[in-house]
Amino acid sequence: MKLRANNSFAILTDTTLCTGCETCVRACKEKNNLGEDQPRLWKMAIDDLSATRFTSLVRRAGDHFVRKQCRHCVEPACVSACLVGALKKTKEGPVIYDASLCMGCRYCMLACPYGVPRYEWSKAAPTIRKCDMCYDRLIKGEQPACTLVCPEKATIFGTRQDLLAEAHRRIDRAPNKYQKKVFGEFEVGGTTVLYISDIPLGFLGSKSDMGDKPLPDLTWAAMKKIPPIVLGVGGLMAGVWWIVGRRMKMQALEALSEGTTASEGTTANEPGDEKKDDESSE
Amino acid sequence: MANRLGVLKTILWLIVGVWATVTVFRFANGLGATTALNDATPWGLWIAFDVMAGVALAAGGFVIAAVVYIFGLQKYRLFVRPAILTAFLGYLAVAIGLLYDLGLPWHIWHPIIHWQYHSVLFEVAMCVMLYLSVLAMEFAPVVLEHPLFSHPLFRHIYNILKKGTIFLVIAGIVLSTLHQSSLGSLFLITPARLHPLWYSPHIYFLFFVSAVGLGLMTVVLETIFSGWFLGHKIRAELLSGLGAAAAWVLGFYAVVRLADLAVYGKFGLIFSSSWYGELFIFELAVSAIIPAVLLAIPKVRRSVAGITVCACMIVFGMVLYRIDVCLIAFQRSETLAYFPFWTEIAVTAGIVSGATLVFIFFVENLKVYAENPSSEEEPKRSMVKSSYYPTTVNTLLPYRFLGPRSYSLMFVVGAALAVGFLPSSAIFGSRPVRTPVSSPRMLKGYVVPRADGFGHEFILSNSASQAPTGDAPTFFLKLDGDRHGRFVLFPHDRHIEMQGRTDSCVKCHHMNLPGDTNTSCSECHRDMYGITDIFEHSSHVDHLGGNDGCTTCHVNPSDVKNRQTALRCAECHSEMLVAGSVVKPNKEGLIGYALGYKRAMHDEFAQKGFCIDCHKEKAAQAGRSPKGKDHALTRCDACHRDDISNQIKTR
Repeated sequence: MKLRANNSFAILTDTTLCTGCETCVRACKEKNNLGEDQPRLWKMAIDDLSATRFTSLVRRAGDHFVRKQCRHCVEPACVSACLVGALKKTKEGPVIYDASLCMGCRYCMLACPYGVPRYEWSKAAPTIRKCDMCYDRLIKGEQPACTLVCPEKATIFGTRQDLLAEAHRRIDRAPNKYQKKVFGEFEVGGTTVLYISDIPLGFLGSKSDMGDKPLPDLTWAAMKKIPPIVLGVGGLMAGVWWIVGRRMKMQALEALSEGTTASEGTTANEPGDEKKDDESSE
Repeated sequence: MANRLGVLKTILWLIVGVWATVTVFRFANGLGATTALNDATPWGLWIAFDVMAGVALAAGGFVIAAVVYIFGLQKYRLFVRPAILTAFLGYLAVAIGLLYDLGLPWHIWHPIIHWQYHSVLFEVAMCVMLYLSVLAMEFAPVVLEHPLFSHPLFRHIYNILKKGTIFLVIAGIVLSTLHQSSLGSLFLITPARLHPLWYSPHIYFLFFVSAVGLGLMTVVLETIFSGWFLGHKIRAELLSGLGAAAAWVLGFYAVVRLADLAVYGKFGLIFSSSWYGELFIFELAVSAIIPAVLLAIPKVRRSVAGITVCACMIVFGMVLYRIDVCLIAFQRSETLAYFPFWTEIAVTAGIVSGATLVFIFFVENLKVYAENPSSEEEPKRSMVKSSYYPTTVNTLLPYRFLGPRSYSLMFVVGAALAVGFLPSSAIFGSRPVRTPVSSPRMLKGYVVPRADGFGHEFILSNSASQAPTGDAPTFFLKLDGDRHGRFVLFPHDRHIEMQGRTDSCVKCHHMNLPGDTNTSCSECHRDMYGITDIFEHSSHVDHLGGNDGCTTCHVNPSDVKNRQTALRCAECHSEMLVAGSVVKPNKEGLIGYALGYKRAMHDEFAQKGFCIDCHKEKAAQAGRSPKGKDHALTRCDACHRDDISNQIKTR
């Protein structure tokens, strides 16, 4: 679904300002009532996101802290993957989740290039868990809990347009400090959670370079072919059946006119019943 | 012959028994309790095998229907009914397997009314649902032939279904084409996570062609097994025909697979991808190249043994193809591995066994294998008589034991075995694995002021070299309770100095075990996250004089004797609560439980507790706000460091 992305809300994280205090992590846990974390074994040990942790800090060598959270992509793979539409891209920007529709197929977990959605494996009636950019706060005109509490203003909230401009401004002002791109500006079709950083942030995704093509386009290319395939295969099969049937009938009529019974092995019950054919190729 | 069937059914009922028990616990306690699935591997054995391989293995139905009804090759008509039945039971098995895998299986009907048609999975769901109906309608005439359905209404339905056979067949072929290929399309959206040797923009075509080849061979295998167990004569010349077709299809599949790699420039990856390349070669060889070559040899495909071997290779290889795409060649986490629990394997095996038992039931009671279904005479060929009258007891079994008695016995045995072997997580709900706390390690080092004036730097020293500032060395405790590489470097000596030397031990070491002066934290707080029971009842009993001493703690004799009604520990162990102690255990709550180590060190949520309160106070006293890059002591990373951090310098 093509949005006017630049009008949507967004978050910009400047990793050079992050001190690793984890106030954003705590604020998110409190706001969403997430409760205590489960032991490390149950989490993807690389990034600490889980059903009880929607944002985490990934530590990188040299005292770098990088916030990981749902990227709220402009054209989300998870939204495209969810067969019942439990995940929706809102016009305000966030990708939100409706547990009442969810079947628990976990296709969204597979589809997300950042591996963001997590599952409540310990529950008998589990649901998908991930950041929703505090959507309930956004529609009231407030900002998300994490950007509100950051003491360094390393992670800030605004519209995508404004934050992109701010990000480019910071990079231009200090070109030797930052990597020369805004992470999330174009990647997989663009995300609304953006980063500027002094270290490359390829590790946030499944692969360092995932290209700029939105992932839903990859499946739509195949899905578009379905109506022609239905008509084509259906038509082809019907056509072959009719041709083979006619050929059989012709042969049967010929044989009949020559006075021999050609209906060996056929019964009256099977419609489209034909004479045996010796060819065994398909 | 009949004996073999009895033994087979006995074994199948055993597996079904195990399956039944696992089912109860799977739905009572959830996925975490009964599977090894995790956030890094959301799709495991149940999707990779039950759904993906299962759908492929049931492809025989539409392939044979096409061969017989569309292309008019009547000599294969014999295979149609068993193939349709196999396909129907196969898809039913897929649907049942899905009920196990879904987190909220009672929502499985949602795709019927909630359409998100951009999703490949939506298309798979719709097609599988429709195809299951088509298969049911294709097989219904076989059921309706039974004398039980002699009512004219059933006859009417029977005639309608028979007349509509060709429409059902065409619909079935179209639907099968769609969903067999869509199972591959599921992975189009994951180019970054599926290994390039398996990812292709045309993966749907590869899945479809492989399904056709596999379908032909499942018909062959099914014929051979039913011949072996049910005594039907195996028509080798017919199988040879199917084998020849399969040789063409699989050869084509192998060529397309390799060509696809070449076109996208990935051919070299076969040799440079470490074990993925080897897996690719193995899979392609076993699933397509070797069988295609073998089946091209007339002598091989005309012999029952030869075609059986080829069919087994193809089935194994094609199932492996789908497991590779879904699981093995799909990006996984190095730290969070996946291997199916035995409970997952039990469910998969159980569903297959159940389907086989249903198949045998149908074969024994309906004219599934009859060459001439409209004839009223009993088929003479098989030794297991197809009987229209369900009350006919099969008297051909030589051993009295094999039969309904053995089946029910095996079911109960299987169910009991499963209960015995289930892990406690399956029965009581998944619980976090206990993370034992190891005691801290001592490191020598120096505390020096930072060059930028903010706080101090810790420099570790593992030799007797000169101190950076001539200071005396101090000792740090490296607190890494669960030994996972993140630690707190704790300057123990400095803290002793700050708190008042040796008199201050009890401020932090708040509960000293008998004979001890400063019990280490990890002595009682023995688990990283979980609560530890530290109360030893037996030693208290001994100390207080056996049964005479009960009332020392269980003061009120009329109360039930448990922890809650007994005296609190602090009543006797007064040193547990020291005035001015940094540790603030709740006097009422002291009943012999030690908090998890992590919580004991600091309460994560409110950021108060053992260390944080004092640090906040100190930071405030020093006039520093809890913010800023001066590594103020209330920030997590001020204390928590990783081995990769360069804040710690070693010399």
